[in-house]
Amino acid sequence: MLRFAVATSVFAAVAMADGFTFTIGSPVAAQEAQFKTAAFAFRTEHCAEPAKSQITATAEGIVHGARRSVALKVAALQRPGVYAVFQTWGDGGQWVVVLKGECENETAGAIVPIGPKGFIRESSKFFPRPAKGPEVDASLKSLVEGESK
Amino acid sequence: MFSRHISDRLAAYIEEARDANLIEQHLAECERCRAEYVQVRTGIDALQHLPLAVAPASIWNSIESALVGSPKRPVFSPWKLGLATIAALIIVGGAYWIITRSNARWEVDGLAGSPVVGTQHISRAGRVGAGEWVETDARSSARIRIGDIGSVVLSPNTRARVLATRPQEHRIALAHGEIQAKISAPPRLFFVDTASGTAVDLGCEYSLYTEENGSGLMRVTRGWVSFQRNGRESLVPAGASCRTRPHAGAGTPYFDDASESLRRAVDDFDEKPGADALTEILAGARVRDTLTLWHLLPRVAAADRGRVYDRIAALTPVPAGISKEKVLNLDSETLTHWKDELAWTW
Repeated sequence: MLRFAVATSVFAAVAMADGFTFTIGSPVAAQEAQFKTAAFAFRTEHCAEPAKSQITATAEGIVHGARRSVALKVAALQRPGVYAVFQTWGDGGQWVVVLKGECENETAGAIVPIGPKGFIRESSKFFPRPAKGPEVDASLKSLVEGESK
Repeated sequence: MFSRHISDRLAAYIEEARDANLIEQHLAECERCRAEYVQVRTGIDALQHLPLAVAPASIWNSIESALVGSPKRPVFSPWKLGLATIAALIIVGGAYWIITRSNARWEVDGLAGSPVVGTQHISRAGRVGAGEWVETDARSSARIRIGDIGSVVLSPNTRARVLATRPQEHRIALAHGEIQAKISAPPRLFFVDTASGTAVDLGCEYSLYTEENGSGLMRVTRGWVSFQRNGRESLVPAGASCRTRPHAGAGTPYFDDASESLRRAVDDFDEKPGADALTEILAGARVRDTLTLWHLLPRVAAADRGRVYDRIAALTPVPAGISKEKVLNLDSETLTHWKDELAWTW
């Protein structure tokens, strides 16, 4: 039983390592000047036809104790599979950006917390599926607790 | 450095970068030659922008006839002389129009005190053109609107000269002091010359401090800036800085949140490249500090290049297609590809 669990975990890790996912970076990674003010850039990984992938993004936040959700426009850059999102969710409150992607038969998700100095790489989370509501809430809660310290 | 004026060397410098080192040192210190440089450069650029007129085929027939014909025939008949005169007037008029249209005057806002534009103190607003200085004292500051692509704020005790105000080249020279530039434009339209090199905007916001001798610091807050001198370039992204040094150009860039020991070691290395400083840099580098490490690859001794490569590889996986051998040989395409990939960690 233990061997089965270990093997399954290893398989899952390998599958996730090679599966469709996102990489995030600062706007400079996009290497296009008009995106220098973007909140962050990101690209798809392990997608056979990145130009055909379907990507959406929403900003999820807590403002004055109230939960907010703002649909974001995902800007596609010249290089296939590379995108940027801009901060259009307003100032104030704590926010995370939730990415969701579909590439052929695979899906991917990410939660990218936004701090005072921009996106927080170390706290970003990546999934081989869309992020779930409780996962988003947990990231927001961490942000709120982090800022209140 | 040339001790005399270099009027006769400017054209060769502009077109072929001849004696670039010596010329740039002289220009940094000679106001008269800097003014002449602006004029010569403007003239060369204007000629390059003139439309190419294709001569009608019939003109060659008449030229041949003139060559084959009797020696007693006049070389220039009156109507040909008239045509040549008209053509010359059109060319001169076109060049004048291009020069005057291209050299717009930028608005200058006085932000505090009474900055000087040209020879005039301004209180609120003024205009500055190519070849003119803007200067602030200890109690004044000013903002120069760089055409329609952005602005540059001059902090107190700053002196800068506008060199070019053309649509494809917005250029100032920072003699000393500090500026904050905010540019929204395609890359490579805005340039700041200093005694230690040129900051080339790649779509950015940054501050640049320099002393008369060229030592200073550039800090980027948005986008990228390239600092260049004699083929040596530092690419500085948002959140990073690089020192500038007299006659040495751009230092090795580092992120502002890098450890103090790493930043100190980078400064030590740039002053005097050595194994101890390199060891300190490698030991203190995080994933993000691959910005610094990548820039070190062409700056360390060949024998140390493998150490830098190995450290980068230990911090972040080397992408497929990046050959260690090519990196160690400083293959430019390989280095550029690796930089593009590493940028996702910066």
